[in-house]
Amino acid sequence: MREPTFLILTALAAGPRYGYAIIQDVTTLSQGRTSLLPGTLYTALDRLAAQGLVELDREETVDGRLRRYYRLTQDGVADLQAETARLRELTTAAEHRLRALRPRTA
Amino acid sequence: MPATPSPLARRYRRLMLTYPRAYRRERGEELLATLLELATPDRARPTLREAANLIGHGLRARLGRPASRTVVTWSVLTALVCGLYVAAMATRLAWETSRPHPDQAETVAVLAEILPGHQVDGIHPAQALFTFYTEPFGPQMLDSLMFGDGNEYALGTTTASRDGIPPEPLEQAAADAERRLRAGGWTVYPVTHNDTYSCIGPPCDPATIPRDTRLFAKRGDTVFELELVPSRNTDSIYLGLSLSRATPAAVLPAGVAGGLAGAAVGWLLFGWASRRTQDRHAVRGTATVLYAVTMLFWWGPILPSVPAAVTHHLDEPHPRWHPLWEWLGQPTFSLLFVAGCAAALLGLCLAALPSRRRQPVVSHAPGVEAR
Repeated sequence: MREPTFLILTALAAGPRYGYAIIQDVTTLSQGRTSLLPGTLYTALDRLAAQGLVELDREETVDGRLRRYYRLTQDGVADLQAETARLRELTTAAEHRLRALRPRTA
Repeated sequence: MPATPSPLARRYRRLMLTYPRAYRRERGEELLATLLELATPDRARPTLREAANLIGHGLRARLGRPASRTVVTWSVLTALVCGLYVAAMATRLAWETSRPHPDQAETVAVLAEILPGHQVDGIHPAQALFTFYTEPFGPQMLDSLMFGDGNEYALGTTTASRDGIPPEPLEQAAADAERRLRAGGWTVYPVTHNDTYSCIGPPCDPATIPRDTRLFAKRGDTVFELELVPSRNTDSIYLGLSLSRATPAAVLPAGVAGGLAGAAVGWLLFGWASRRTQDRHAVRGTATVLYAVTMLFWWGPILPSVPAAVTHHLDEPHPRWHPLWEWLGQPTFSLLFVAGCAAALLGLCLAALPSRRRQPVVSHAPGVEAR
Protein backbone atom coordinates (compact mmCIF):
# COMPACT_ATOMS: atom_id res chain seq x y z
CA MET A 1 0.00 0.00 0.00
CA ARG A 2 1.38 3.40 -0.98
CA GLU A 3 1.65 6.12 1.59
CA PRO A 4 -1.09 8.43 0.16
CA THR A 5 -3.51 5.47 0.12
CA PHE A 6 -2.59 4.62 3.71
CA LEU A 7 -3.13 8.24 4.73
CA ILE A 8 -6.53 8.46 2.98
CA LEU A 9 -7.71 5.28 4.70
CA THR A 10 -6.36 6.60 8.00
CA ALA A 11 -8.23 9.88 7.50
CA LEU A 12 -11.45 7.94 6.90
CA ALA A 13 -10.82 5.76 9.96
CA ALA A 14 -11.83 8.77 12.08
CA GLY A 15 -15.26 8.77 10.43
CA PRO A 16 -16.86 9.83 7.16
CA ARG A 17 -15.09 12.72 5.41
CA TYR A 18 -15.69 14.67 2.21
CA GLY A 19 -12.99 15.53 -0.35
CA TYR A 20 -11.66 18.79 1.10
CA ALA A 21 -11.66 17.39 4.65
CA ILE A 22 -9.75 14.28 3.53
CA ILE A 23 -7.08 16.44 1.88
CA GLN A 24 -6.75 18.59 5.01
CA ASP A 25 -6.62 15.53 7.25
CA VAL A 26 -3.94 13.87 5.11
CA THR A 27 -1.82 17.04 5.27
CA THR A 28 -2.17 17.09 9.07
CA LEU A 29 -1.49 13.35 9.48
CA SER A 30 1.64 13.55 7.34
CA GLN A 31 2.75 16.78 9.05
CA GLY A 32 2.67 18.57 5.70
CA ARG A 33 4.82 16.03 3.83
CA THR A 34 1.92 14.81 1.69
CA SER A 35 -0.29 17.37 0.05
CA LEU A 36 -2.92 15.70 -2.11
CA LEU A 37 -4.40 17.50 -5.09
CA PRO A 38 -8.07 16.87 -5.88
CA GLY A 39 -7.28 14.97 -9.10
CA THR A 40 -5.08 12.56 -7.15
CA LEU A 41 -7.60 12.21 -4.33
CA TYR A 42 -10.55 11.32 -6.58
CA THR A 43 -8.47 8.87 -8.62
CA ALA A 44 -7.48 7.21 -5.34
CA LEU A 45 -11.08 7.21 -4.09
CA ASP A 46 -12.25 5.64 -7.39
CA ARG A 47 -9.61 2.93 -6.99
CA LEU A 48 -10.42 2.29 -3.34
CA ALA A 49 -14.13 2.18 -4.16
CA ALA A 50 -13.49 -0.30 -6.99
CA GLN A 51 -11.50 -2.43 -4.55
CA GLY A 52 -14.39 -2.24 -2.09
CA LEU A 53 -12.38 -0.43 0.60
CA VAL A 54 -14.43 2.79 0.72
CA GLU A 55 -18.03 3.65 -0.05
CA LEU A 56 -20.24 6.70 -0.20
CA ASP A 57 -21.73 7.63 3.16
CA ARG A 58 -23.93 10.64 2.37
CA GLU A 59 -24.20 13.82 0.34
CA GLU A 60 -24.73 17.42 1.40
CA THR A 61 -24.86 20.75 -0.33
CA VAL A 62 -23.22 23.55 1.64
CA ASP A 63 -23.10 27.12 0.25
CA GLY A 64 -24.14 25.74 -3.12
CA ARG A 65 -21.23 23.27 -3.17
CA LEU A 66 -21.70 19.53 -3.30
CA ARG A 67 -20.03 17.49 -0.58
CA ARG A 68 -19.90 13.72 -0.75
CA TYR A 69 -18.81 11.95 2.40
CA TYR A 70 -16.89 8.69 2.13
CA ARG A 71 -16.38 6.03 4.75
CA LEU A 72 -14.40 2.86 5.18
CA THR A 73 -16.05 -0.46 4.42
CA GLN A 74 -15.41 -3.57 6.52
CA ASP A 75 -12.73 -4.57 3.98
CA GLY A 76 -11.25 -1.08 4.19
CA VAL A 77 -10.96 -1.36 7.96
CA ALA A 78 -9.38 -4.82 7.63
CA ASP A 79 -6.87 -3.60 5.01
CA LEU A 80 -5.92 -0.61 7.13
CA GLN A 81 -5.49 -2.86 10.17
CA ALA A 82 -3.30 -5.26 8.20
CA GLU A 83 -1.16 -2.46 6.80
CA THR A 84 -0.83 -0.84 10.21
CA ALA A 85 0.30 -4.17 11.71
CA ARG A 86 2.81 -4.63 8.88
CA LEU A 87 4.22 -1.14 9.38
CA ARG A 88 4.35 -1.70 13.15
CA GLU A 89 6.33 -4.93 12.66
CA LEU A 90 8.77 -3.13 10.39
CA THR A 91 9.09 -0.22 12.80
CA THR A 92 9.65 -2.58 15.73
CA ALA A 93 12.33 -4.49 13.82
CA ALA A 94 14.06 -1.26 12.87
CA GLU A 95 13.91 -0.01 16.47
CA HIS A 96 15.44 -3.23 17.77
CA ARG A 97 18.32 -3.00 15.37
CA LEU A 98 18.87 0.67 16.05
CA ARG A 99 18.87 -0.01 19.80
CA ALA A 100 21.48 -2.74 19.30
CA LEU A 101 23.53 -0.36 17.15
CA ARG A 102 23.53 2.50 19.66
CA PRO A 103 26.09 1.14 22.20
CA ARG A 104 28.56 0.38 19.43
CA THR A 105 28.25 3.78 17.75
CA ALA A 106 28.29 5.68 21.04
CA MET B 1 -23.14 26.91 -6.95
CA PRO B 2 -23.08 30.68 -7.56
CA ALA B 3 -25.33 31.87 -10.42
CA THR B 4 -22.36 33.18 -12.39
CA PRO B 5 -19.34 30.90 -12.21
CA SER B 6 -16.12 32.65 -11.21
CA PRO B 7 -13.27 32.83 -13.73
CA LEU B 8 -11.44 30.28 -11.59
CA ALA B 9 -14.39 27.86 -11.71
CA ARG B 10 -14.64 28.33 -15.49
CA ARG B 11 -10.96 27.54 -15.87
CA TYR B 12 -11.23 24.47 -13.64
CA ARG B 13 -14.18 23.28 -15.72
CA ARG B 14 -12.17 23.74 -18.88
CA LEU B 15 -9.37 21.57 -17.46
CA MET B 16 -11.92 19.01 -16.32
CA LEU B 17 -12.83 18.42 -19.97
CA THR B 18 -10.00 15.86 -19.96
CA TYR B 19 -12.33 13.67 -17.82
CA PRO B 20 -14.92 11.61 -19.71
CA ARG B 21 -18.38 13.16 -19.92
CA ALA B 22 -20.08 10.53 -17.76
CA TYR B 23 -17.48 11.04 -15.06
CA ARG B 24 -17.94 14.82 -15.18
CA ARG B 25 -21.69 14.36 -14.93
CA GLU B 26 -21.35 12.22 -11.84
CA ARG B 27 -18.29 13.67 -10.10
CA GLY B 28 -17.72 17.04 -11.77
CA GLU B 29 -19.54 19.23 -9.22
CA GLU B 30 -17.91 17.43 -6.31
CA LEU B 31 -14.44 17.74 -7.82
CA LEU B 32 -15.00 21.40 -8.64
CA ALA B 33 -16.27 22.12 -5.13
CA THR B 34 -13.11 20.58 -3.64
CA LEU B 35 -10.89 22.55 -6.01
CA LEU B 36 -12.65 25.82 -5.15
CA GLU B 37 -12.58 25.12 -1.45
CA LEU B 38 -8.82 24.55 -1.58
CA ALA B 39 -8.15 27.72 -3.59
CA THR B 40 -7.37 30.96 -1.79
CA PRO B 41 -10.00 33.67 -2.41
CA ASP B 42 -7.67 35.88 -4.49
CA ARG B 43 -6.90 33.13 -7.02
CA ALA B 44 -8.22 33.57 -10.56
CA ARG B 45 -6.24 30.82 -12.30
CA PRO B 46 -5.42 27.20 -11.52
CA THR B 47 -1.78 26.63 -10.62
CA LEU B 48 0.40 24.72 -13.08
CA ARG B 49 0.55 21.82 -10.62
CA GLU B 50 -3.25 21.72 -10.42
CA ALA B 51 -3.58 21.91 -14.20
CA ALA B 52 -1.11 19.08 -14.76
CA ASN B 53 -2.80 17.05 -12.02
CA LEU B 54 -6.29 17.48 -13.50
CA ILE B 55 -5.12 16.71 -17.03
CA GLY B 56 -3.19 13.61 -15.94
CA HIS B 57 -5.95 12.20 -13.76
CA GLY B 58 -8.62 13.20 -16.29
CA LEU B 59 -6.84 11.19 -18.95
CA ARG B 60 -6.46 8.31 -16.51
CA ALA B 61 -10.22 8.46 -15.82
CA ARG B 62 -10.81 8.07 -19.56
CA LEU B 63 -9.31 4.57 -19.34
CA GLY B 64 -11.81 3.42 -16.71
CA ARG B 65 -10.98 0.36 -14.56
CA PRO B 66 -9.76 2.46 -11.62
CA ALA B 67 -8.37 -0.55 -9.74
CA SER B 68 -6.23 -1.74 -12.67
CA ARG B 69 -2.49 -1.24 -12.45
CA THR B 70 -1.87 -2.26 -16.08
CA VAL B 71 -4.55 -0.41 -18.03
CA VAL B 72 -2.24 2.59 -18.61
CA THR B 73 0.43 0.33 -20.12
CA TRP B 74 -2.13 -1.36 -22.38
CA SER B 75 -3.46 2.00 -23.49
CA VAL B 76 0.05 3.17 -24.42
CA LEU B 77 0.73 -0.03 -26.37
CA THR B 78 -2.58 0.39 -28.19
CA ALA B 79 -1.91 4.04 -28.99
CA LEU B 80 1.57 3.16 -30.23
CA VAL B 81 0.47 0.36 -32.54
CA CYS B 82 -2.48 2.39 -33.91
CA GLY B 83 -0.14 5.34 -34.46
CA LEU B 84 2.35 3.16 -36.35
CA TYR B 85 -0.22 1.58 -38.66
CA VAL B 86 -2.03 4.85 -39.39
CA ALA B 87 1.33 6.54 -40.00
CA ALA B 88 2.18 3.75 -42.46
CA MET B 89 -1.12 4.28 -44.29
CA ALA B 90 -0.54 8.04 -44.35
CA THR B 91 2.93 7.58 -45.83
CA ARG B 92 1.49 5.32 -48.54
CA LEU B 93 -0.99 8.06 -49.46
CA ALA B 94 1.81 10.65 -49.40
CA TRP B 95 3.78 8.52 -51.86
CA GLU B 96 1.12 9.46 -54.43
CA THR B 97 2.74 12.93 -54.54
CA SER B 98 5.78 11.30 -56.16
CA ARG B 99 6.58 11.83 -59.85
CA PRO B 100 6.16 8.65 -61.90
CA HIS B 101 9.23 6.44 -62.03
CA PRO B 102 11.81 7.30 -64.72
CA ASP B 103 10.54 6.52 -68.21
CA GLN B 104 12.38 5.18 -71.23
CA ALA B 105 13.77 8.58 -72.26
CA GLU B 106 15.06 9.41 -68.79
CA THR B 107 16.67 5.97 -68.50
CA VAL B 108 18.36 6.35 -71.89
CA ALA B 109 19.73 9.72 -70.75
CA VAL B 110 21.07 8.26 -67.48
CA LEU B 111 22.68 5.35 -69.36
CA ALA B 112 24.34 7.73 -71.80
CA GLU B 113 25.61 9.86 -68.92
CA ILE B 114 26.83 7.14 -66.55
CA LEU B 115 27.38 3.98 -68.60
CA PRO B 116 28.25 5.18 -72.14
CA GLY B 117 30.22 2.07 -73.09
CA HIS B 118 27.47 -0.41 -72.24
CA GLN B 119 24.57 -1.04 -74.62
CA VAL B 120 21.59 -2.47 -72.75
CA ASP B 121 19.41 -5.24 -74.12
CA GLY B 122 16.19 -3.49 -73.18
CA ILE B 123 14.57 -0.97 -70.87
CA HIS B 124 11.55 -2.00 -68.81
CA PRO B 125 9.75 1.03 -67.38
CA ALA B 126 7.99 0.57 -64.02
CA GLN B 127 4.34 -0.33 -64.52
CA ALA B 128 3.19 1.67 -61.51
CA LEU B 129 4.50 3.55 -58.48
CA PHE B 130 4.13 0.38 -56.40
CA THR B 131 3.85 -2.99 -58.05
CA PHE B 132 2.92 -6.53 -57.16
CA TYR B 133 5.13 -9.00 -59.03
CA THR B 134 6.15 -5.97 -61.19
CA GLU B 135 2.49 -5.45 -62.25
CA PRO B 136 0.15 -2.69 -61.10
CA PHE B 137 -1.72 -3.93 -58.02
CA GLY B 138 -5.39 -4.72 -58.57
CA PRO B 139 -8.23 -6.09 -56.41
CA GLN B 140 -7.91 -9.49 -58.09
CA MET B 141 -4.45 -9.80 -56.51
CA LEU B 142 -5.76 -9.26 -52.98
CA ASP B 143 -5.88 -12.96 -52.12
CA SER B 144 -2.29 -13.50 -53.27
CA LEU B 145 -1.21 -10.44 -51.32
CA MET B 146 -2.83 -11.65 -48.12
CA PHE B 147 -2.09 -15.35 -48.43
CA GLY B 148 1.67 -15.53 -48.61
CA ASP B 149 2.93 -13.24 -51.36
CA GLY B 150 2.65 -9.91 -49.56
CA ASN B 151 6.39 -9.30 -49.79
CA GLU B 152 6.01 -9.00 -53.58
CA TYR B 153 4.29 -5.64 -53.11
CA ALA B 154 7.15 -3.21 -53.55
CA LEU B 155 8.19 0.09 -55.01
CA GLY B 156 8.25 -0.17 -58.79
CA THR B 157 11.54 0.32 -60.63
CA THR B 158 12.54 1.00 -64.20
CA THR B 159 15.15 -1.58 -65.14
CA ALA B 160 17.69 -2.09 -67.86
CA SER B 161 20.15 -4.93 -68.25
CA ARG B 162 22.87 -6.31 -70.44
CA ASP B 163 23.77 -9.98 -71.00
CA GLY B 164 27.13 -11.34 -71.94
CA ILE B 165 30.78 -10.94 -71.18
CA PRO B 166 31.65 -7.51 -69.72
CA PRO B 167 33.58 -5.38 -72.25
CA GLU B 168 35.89 -4.20 -69.49
CA PRO B 169 36.82 -5.44 -66.00
CA LEU B 170 33.90 -4.86 -63.63
CA GLU B 171 36.10 -2.96 -61.15
CA GLN B 172 36.96 -0.56 -63.96
CA ALA B 173 33.27 -0.24 -64.98
CA ALA B 174 32.27 0.49 -61.39
CA ALA B 175 35.03 3.07 -60.94
CA ASP B 176 34.10 4.80 -64.22
CA ALA B 177 30.41 4.86 -63.26
CA GLU B 178 31.22 6.24 -59.82
CA ARG B 179 33.41 8.97 -61.32
CA ARG B 180 30.72 9.97 -63.82
CA LEU B 181 28.04 9.95 -61.13
CA ARG B 182 30.06 12.32 -58.98
CA ALA B 183 30.79 14.54 -61.96
CA GLY B 184 27.08 14.63 -62.77
CA GLY B 185 26.17 15.87 -59.30
CA TRP B 186 24.84 12.54 -57.96
CA THR B 187 25.27 11.68 -54.31
CA VAL B 188 27.17 8.40 -54.41
CA TYR B 189 26.95 5.84 -51.61
CA PRO B 190 29.76 3.42 -50.67
CA VAL B 191 30.16 0.53 -53.12
CA THR B 192 29.15 -2.86 -51.72
CA HIS B 193 30.13 -6.37 -52.73
CA ASN B 194 28.08 -9.49 -52.10
CA ASP B 195 28.66 -13.17 -52.85
CA THR B 196 26.63 -14.16 -55.90
CA TYR B 197 25.63 -17.40 -54.20
CA SER B 198 25.86 -18.95 -50.76
CA CYS B 199 28.26 -21.65 -49.74
CA ILE B 200 26.38 -24.51 -48.10
CA GLY B 201 29.47 -26.46 -47.05
CA PRO B 202 32.55 -28.37 -48.26
CA PRO B 203 33.82 -28.81 -50.90
CA CYS B 204 32.73 -25.19 -51.53
CA ASP B 205 35.44 -22.66 -50.73
CA PRO B 206 33.92 -19.29 -49.78
CA ALA B 207 37.04 -17.51 -51.03
CA THR B 208 36.32 -18.64 -54.60
CA ILE B 209 32.71 -17.41 -54.77
CA PRO B 210 32.35 -14.60 -57.34
CA ARG B 211 31.23 -11.30 -55.83
CA ASP B 212 28.96 -8.74 -57.42
CA THR B 213 29.41 -4.99 -57.16
CA ARG B 214 26.56 -2.69 -56.22
CA LEU B 215 26.60 1.05 -56.57
CA PHE B 216 23.87 3.33 -55.20
CA ALA B 217 23.42 7.01 -55.98
CA LYS B 218 20.78 9.69 -55.73
CA ARG B 219 20.16 12.96 -57.54
CA GLY B 220 17.05 15.03 -56.88
CA ASP B 221 14.18 12.57 -56.69
CA THR B 222 15.92 9.86 -58.71
CA VAL B 223 17.57 6.83 -57.14
CA PHE B 224 20.18 4.95 -59.17
CA GLU B 225 21.21 1.37 -58.45
CA LEU B 226 23.80 -0.45 -60.52
CA GLU B 227 24.63 -4.11 -60.12
CA LEU B 228 27.64 -5.58 -61.88
CA VAL B 229 27.86 -9.38 -61.82
CA PRO B 230 30.89 -11.46 -62.91
CA SER B 231 29.69 -13.35 -65.98
CA ARG B 232 31.53 -16.01 -67.96
CA ASN B 233 28.95 -16.72 -70.67
CA THR B 234 26.91 -14.76 -73.15
CA ASP B 235 23.40 -15.50 -71.84
CA SER B 236 23.69 -14.29 -68.26
CA ILE B 237 23.35 -10.74 -67.02
CA TYR B 238 26.49 -8.86 -66.12
CA LEU B 239 24.91 -5.41 -65.77
CA GLY B 240 21.62 -4.49 -64.12
CA LEU B 241 20.43 -0.93 -63.69
CA SER B 242 17.42 0.16 -61.64
CA LEU B 243 16.02 3.66 -61.55
CA SER B 244 13.25 4.75 -59.22
CA ARG B 245 11.97 7.72 -57.28
CA ALA B 246 13.23 8.87 -53.90
CA THR B 247 10.85 9.21 -50.97
CA PRO B 248 8.70 12.30 -51.60
CA ALA B 249 9.02 15.22 -49.16
CA ALA B 250 5.37 14.83 -48.13
CA VAL B 251 5.97 11.36 -46.64
CA LEU B 252 7.63 12.46 -43.39
CA PRO B 253 5.06 15.10 -42.36
CA ALA B 254 2.23 12.80 -43.44
CA GLY B 255 3.70 9.98 -41.36
CA VAL B 256 4.12 12.18 -38.29
CA ALA B 257 0.63 13.69 -38.59
CA GLY B 258 -0.94 10.29 -39.29
CA GLY B 259 0.98 8.71 -36.43
CA LEU B 260 -0.15 11.32 -33.92
CA ALA B 261 -3.76 11.20 -35.12
CA GLY B 262 -3.78 7.39 -35.12
CA ALA B 263 -2.29 7.23 -31.64
CA ALA B 264 -4.82 9.72 -30.28
CA VAL B 265 -7.81 7.95 -31.87
CA GLY B 266 -6.51 4.53 -30.82
CA TRP B 267 -6.03 5.69 -27.25
CA LEU B 268 -9.47 7.30 -27.05
CA LEU B 269 -11.18 4.23 -28.53
CA PHE B 270 -9.30 1.97 -26.12
CA GLY B 271 -10.43 4.13 -23.19
CA TRP B 272 -14.01 4.23 -24.43
CA ALA B 273 -14.17 0.45 -24.87
CA SER B 274 -12.44 -0.11 -21.53
CA ARG B 275 -15.00 2.06 -19.70
CA ARG B 276 -17.92 0.54 -21.56
CA THR B 277 -16.93 -3.03 -20.67
CA GLN B 278 -15.51 -2.59 -17.16
CA ASP B 279 -18.68 -3.32 -15.18
CA ARG B 280 -20.43 -5.69 -17.57
CA HIS B 281 -19.20 -9.07 -16.53
CA ALA B 282 -21.03 -10.76 -19.40
CA VAL B 283 -18.93 -9.01 -22.04
CA ARG B 284 -15.80 -8.17 -20.06
CA GLY B 285 -14.10 -11.55 -20.59
CA THR B 286 -14.92 -11.69 -24.30
CA ALA B 287 -13.75 -8.10 -24.78
CA THR B 288 -10.46 -8.92 -23.04
CA VAL B 289 -9.90 -11.95 -25.28
CA LEU B 290 -10.66 -9.90 -28.42
CA TYR B 291 -8.28 -7.19 -27.24
CA ALA B 292 -5.52 -9.76 -26.60
CA VAL B 293 -6.05 -11.24 -30.08
CA THR B 294 -5.89 -7.75 -31.63
CA MET B 295 -2.65 -6.90 -29.88
CA LEU B 296 -1.14 -10.28 -30.79
CA PHE B 297 -2.04 -9.90 -34.48
CA TRP B 298 -0.99 -6.26 -34.67
CA TRP B 299 2.24 -6.43 -32.68
CA GLY B 300 3.13 -9.94 -33.94
CA PRO B 301 4.36 -8.82 -37.38
CA ILE B 302 6.15 -5.75 -36.00
CA LEU B 303 8.32 -7.46 -33.41
CA PRO B 304 10.33 -9.65 -35.85
CA SER B 305 10.17 -7.16 -38.75
CA VAL B 306 11.80 -4.19 -37.05
CA PRO B 307 15.06 -5.99 -36.11
CA ALA B 308 15.20 -7.55 -39.61
CA ALA B 309 14.69 -4.13 -41.23
CA VAL B 310 17.33 -2.52 -39.01
CA THR B 311 19.84 -5.26 -39.88
CA HIS B 312 19.06 -4.89 -43.58
CA HIS B 313 19.49 -1.11 -43.45
CA LEU B 314 22.82 -1.46 -41.70
CA ASP B 315 24.04 -4.08 -44.20
CA GLU B 316 23.94 -1.89 -47.30
CA PRO B 317 23.59 1.78 -48.23
CA HIS B 318 20.05 3.08 -48.66
CA PRO B 319 19.51 6.24 -50.68
CA ARG B 320 15.87 5.74 -49.77
CA TRP B 321 14.60 4.07 -46.62
CA HIS B 322 12.17 1.21 -47.03
CA PRO B 323 8.57 2.36 -46.62
CA LEU B 324 7.25 2.41 -43.07
CA TRP B 325 4.75 -0.41 -43.69
CA GLU B 326 7.60 -2.80 -44.55
CA TRP B 327 9.12 -2.06 -41.13
CA LEU B 328 5.77 -3.16 -39.67
CA GLY B 329 5.87 -6.42 -41.61
CA GLN B 330 3.24 -5.26 -44.09
CA PRO B 331 1.84 -6.34 -46.42
CA THR B 332 3.79 -9.58 -45.87
CA PHE B 333 1.72 -10.32 -42.76
CA SER B 334 -1.39 -8.46 -43.93
CA LEU B 335 -3.57 -11.47 -43.09
CA LEU B 336 -2.65 -11.08 -39.41
CA PHE B 337 -3.25 -7.35 -39.60
CA VAL B 338 -6.71 -7.83 -41.12
CA ALA B 339 -7.56 -10.51 -38.55
CA GLY B 340 -6.47 -8.06 -35.82
CA CYS B 341 -8.72 -5.39 -37.34
CA ALA B 342 -11.64 -7.83 -37.32
CA ALA B 343 -11.01 -8.68 -33.65
CA ALA B 344 -10.75 -4.97 -32.78
CA LEU B 345 -13.98 -4.21 -34.62
CA LEU B 346 -15.78 -7.03 -32.83
CA GLY B 347 -14.49 -5.75 -29.50
CA LEU B 348 -15.69 -2.23 -30.28
CA CYS B 349 -19.12 -3.58 -31.35
CA LEU B 350 -19.30 -5.47 -28.07
CA ALA B 351 -18.45 -2.30 -26.17
CA ALA B 352 -21.10 -0.38 -28.12
CA LEU B 353 -23.87 -2.76 -27.07
CA PRO B 354 -26.26 -0.93 -24.78
CA SER B 355 -25.78 -1.76 -21.11
CA ARG B 356 -28.78 -2.31 -18.90
CA ARG B 357 -27.77 0.23 -16.30
CA ARG B 358 -25.05 2.76 -15.72
CA GLN B 359 -22.72 1.84 -12.90
CA PRO B 360 -21.90 4.70 -10.51
CA VAL B 361 -18.24 5.57 -10.19
CA VAL B 362 -18.44 5.09 -6.42
CA SER B 363 -20.80 2.56 -4.95
CA HIS B 364 -23.31 3.90 -2.48
CA ALA B 365 -23.62 2.60 1.03
CA PRO B 366 -26.97 0.95 1.80
CA GLY B 367 -29.63 3.59 2.23
CA VAL B 368 -27.77 6.31 0.27
CA GLU B 369 -29.47 7.41 -2.94
CA ALA B 370 -27.51 8.40 -5.99
CA ARG B 371 -28.05 11.97 -7.16
